Amino acid sequence: MFKHYIKIAWRNAIRQKQFTILNVLGLSIGIATCFIIGLYIHSEMTYDTFHERGERIYRVNQPNIWRDWNEVSSATGPNVATALRSDAPDFEEITRLLNTGTQVVKVGGESNQTSIYKEEQYFAVEENFLDVFSFDLLKGNPKTVFAEPFSMVITTKTAKRYFGNQNPLGKTVEVKDFDGSWKTYTVNGVVADVPYKSHIQFEVLVSLKSFSDQMHANGWKWIWTAFSTYGLVKEGTDIGELTDQIQAIPPKWAPPTTERIFNQTFDEFTAGNAWRLYLQPLSDIYIAGEPTIHSFGPTGDPIFIKIFGAIGLLVLVLSCINFMNLSTARSSKRAKEIGVRKVLGTKRKSLIKQFILESTLFVFIGTVLALVLVQLSLKIFNTIADVNIELISHFTNPWFLIGVLIFVVVLGLISGSYPAFYLSMFQPIETLKGKIGKKFRGKGIRNGLVVVQFTISIALVICTLFVQKQLGYASSLDVGFEKENILQIHNIEQIGFDTEVLKTKFLSNPAFTKVGKSFGLPPNVWTGDRYKTVDAQNDVVQLRNLRAEEDYLDVLGVEFVAGSNFDVSRPNDKYKVILNEEAVRALGWGDKTTYKTDSPIGKILALASGSEDEFEVMGVVKDFNINSVQQKIAPLVIIHHQNDKVWDYGGGLSYYSMRLNPMMVTNVEDLQVLINKVENDLARIDPSIPFEYSFMDQDFENTFISEQRMATILNVFTFMALVIACLGLFGLSAFTAEQRVKELSIRKVLGAKVSSLAVLFSSEFTKLVVVAIVFATPIAYLLVDWWLENFAYRTPIDVWVFIVAAISAIGITLITVSFQTLKVAMSNPIKNLRTE
Amino acid sequence: MLLQLKNVSKWVQSGGQKTFLLKDINFWVNEGDFISIMGPSGSGKSTLLNVIGMLDGFNEGEYTFLDESVHSLKEKHRSNLYKQYIGFVFQSYHLIDELTVKENLEMPLLYKKYGSSERKSLVGDMLDRFNIVGKKDLFPSQLSGGQQQLVGIARALIASPKLILADEPTGNLNSKQGEEIMETFTQLNKEGVTIIQVTHSEKNMAYGSRVINLLDGNLV
Repeated sequence: MFKHYIKIAWRNAIRQKQFTILNVLGLSIGIATCFIIGLYIHSEMTYDTFHERGERIYRVNQPNIWRDWNEVSSATGPNVATALRSDAPDFEEITRLLNTGTQVVKVGGESNQTSIYKEEQYFAVEENFLDVFSFDLLKGNPKTVFAEPFSMVITTKTAKRYFGNQNPLGKTVEVKDFDGSWKTYTVNGVVADVPYKSHIQFEVLVSLKSFSDQMHANGWKWIWTAFSTYGLVKEGTDIGELTDQIQAIPPKWAPPTTERIFNQTFDEFTAGNAWRLYLQPLSDIYIAGEPTIHSFGPTGDPIFIKIFGAIGLLVLVLSCINFMNLSTARSSKRAKEIGVRKVLGTKRKSLIKQFILESTLFVFIGTVLALVLVQLSLKIFNTIADVNIELISHFTNPWFLIGVLIFVVVLGLISGSYPAFYLSMFQPIETLKGKIGKKFRGKGIRNGLVVVQFTISIALVICTLFVQKQLGYASSLDVGFEKENILQIHNIEQIGFDTEVLKTKFLSNPAFTKVGKSFGLPPNVWTGDRYKTVDAQNDVVQLRNLRAEEDYLDVLGVEFVAGSNFDVSRPNDKYKVILNEEAVRALGWGDKTTYKTDSPIGKILALASGSEDEFEVMGVVKDFNINSVQQKIAPLVIIHHQNDKVWDYGGGLSYYSMRLNPMMVTNVEDLQVLINKVENDLARIDPSIPFEYSFMDQDFENTFISEQRMATILNVFTFMALVIACLGLFGLSAFTAEQRVKELSIRKVLGAKVSSLAVLFSSEFTKLVVVAIVFATPIAYLLVDWWLENFAYRTPIDVWVFIVAAISAIGITLITVSFQTLKVAMSNPIKNLRTE
Repeated sequence: MLLQLKNVSKWVQSGGQKTFLLKDINFWVNEGDFISIMGPSGSGKSTLLNVIGMLDGFNEGEYTFLDESVHSLKEKHRSNLYKQYIGFVFQSYHLIDELTVKENLEMPLLYKKYGSSERKSLVGDMLDRFNIVGKKDLFPSQLSGGQQQLVGIARALIASPKLILADEPTGNLNSKQGEEIMETFTQLNKEGVTIIQVTHSEKNMAYGSRVINLLDGNLV
């Protein structure tokens, strides 16, 4: 019987080629889309799962004590690990990573040639690092690689970069210290390249013992938040209990920090906030995308997962609907077979079985085809989505194969159920007389399904349009200064503090109109400190810091709303500060309208973290974006670069920014020549300084990279959804054409023109799409509204976008249907009326 | 003379051989004629009717309708011609199931761009003339076969054609209903409408004034 069913199914499929192709194609596109999304989500959800003991590893997070205690930060002080080792016996191991930031490595070559490498993925780790994490140590002794100071472990890739094919073990390299001296490290081990699905991405690891001086001096501190602390808990540990237990640690261990550094008791320092320690499972770190503060390595976005998961499901629903619609639509063709079977005594049950078997067969073929499609399109998807997902590697996983099989059966059941019940319902006598075609049963349900399809597709289209619109809007937002034509040279701090020689060189270049140095660059000004006013209220507020020389503000071209810029000729200016409007507001000194009566100029601002040095406000600049435009402009204090009373004087990364003279730099070649010249200037001062540059407008663009990627992926999937919906519509219109051919022929004989027939025929589908538009609009509105809430500056939800989507949907419908429309309208009516 | 066919032939190529559907037909119709085309199944009756109704073409010969040479007219012209002068009645009525009697009658007028009030009065006239005023809001499926065919004839007549072409108009009806339909045709003919009917039945043939016998595409 089974064989017989398959034979019948096969012959039917062959006989109705167009239908079969549409059906299988629609299914496989849908399944392929769903699989790609599934693989993507799976890949995103399985970061950091390669660690053998990963399920027992937790990262210790704490509140962001620098800005907002409600925020969580993954950066902890060095003493957290010490405290946990002493007070929390449930941890088998505690290990901490010092995020050193970018390091410069000098490698001596064979012929006395040295190469300079700038290593961004560089961490200092403790001896037990490899006991906790399962990075694959290819060379070296896992027990001792980090045992000595100045020992280094590098990845295979880096070993190749540094030493070519030579054995790296025992080789030495030099690393530039923060004071400019070079320290010699010995390569003790080589690890396999870090899997891309790891939130800890490194090229170079060194032993934390190499920093013993700093550790000795600062190891007791809770505010040196440059560490990430990880704990491996003992098996069977109750994490809830452990979390409760470790809350006793900060009040016990942090007071020396607050007392010695800030001269405050622990309670004064926390000011009523709880200094909690959070335990975040290792596998959550990537995908939670939180905490965002001081987190390193790639992060995922749970919203993306939600959005794409939903889209994957919707696309699958779309293709199931297609399948159901096309299957029931061709019922008239099958009606006779069903009639004969029923007359010959087949029970309804076995008919249902037959049709479900048939649909499962279709789904199976569709799935196989989909897997091929997935494999073929993975490369493109990986490029546009900037991911690294694989299909083939899953084939060796029996769970994957079982999953696919279950998928086929379930999808076959679902998409086969409606056609099966519907087809098996036919009355044998009527179907034998060929009556089924006339009544067009199930039309309501079919139309309903098409409305569902188009509602989904149109809603997706509207959302996609708004995503694009928001991106366009955000990147065109006025950031408060002219961000174009600003060239920025990095690593200036490596020259030392006095950089006037370089500046003079830059200034003599006619391609630059303005040159200025700063210790931070928008959109990445993150450092901040606690300040208070020295008037009656004494409120402590968090302000962002930007250290800069007066010329830097000229480079940006920010506008002063009160007071003026620093003036070199007045030596006292360097102890004064400039605020932005937001900072004036945050300090409670009014806003633009009150400046005249109660000027902020001359008011006194004091540090509220340890020292209580006071600074006079000498200027207020109009608010400008120091971070991405997704964020509200933060209160900012601009400190003169020579102000040695503020704690970070002399430290930190610094940059030279130059405003280009558009008259001198008119094309790409000019720019390249200019950049080469700047590189040369820098090399003459110190050839060991890595030359790195960036453009301010590009840096701002980069803040949208994940949104842009999402937009691209969304575009692709929306397109897929549309294609599937159109395939369905095409199939349905073919069927309807068959159903209505007689009616339309009568009309033609009675005098209808081709055009009026076309209108009549298409209007049936246009009506459905109009209904879909009505449903899709509010749904899309709510989704867009929800998504836009993530942004501080939102594009307005304009009506015209909905209108564009509606018109395109109708246009696409008409085009899709037009094939059938014309076929029907142009055919010779007498051929369709002949046989009776 | 209303129309004339001269040496009209129609064939299909099958397997390198011509199969004649109509062969060398010479035939004319005067206004006011009531012609019956007779012949066994497959003799080409319906094909001839379709050629006359300009719904189907032919391969050879000349066809003149009201002094226009149909064979040399463009498609658009030809369809205007038949829309204006010819009404069709079908064996299986070919009413549109989704439309009421009234709407079915109105349809040809819509395509001929009659104004709304004109349409109303013409539909009213027809309903009156065929005594189906009471049925005007019913759907075809709610009518008997005879009533459906009556609607079919009314629809064919509504734009006052010169010629009615009826392809086995009583083929699906019982004898009583068939008689009524034939009576209607006779009445119409008396009022001046030219009628060409295709029929199997000797009884129906008798209503006509002239008989044309076809056999394998040839006039006999």
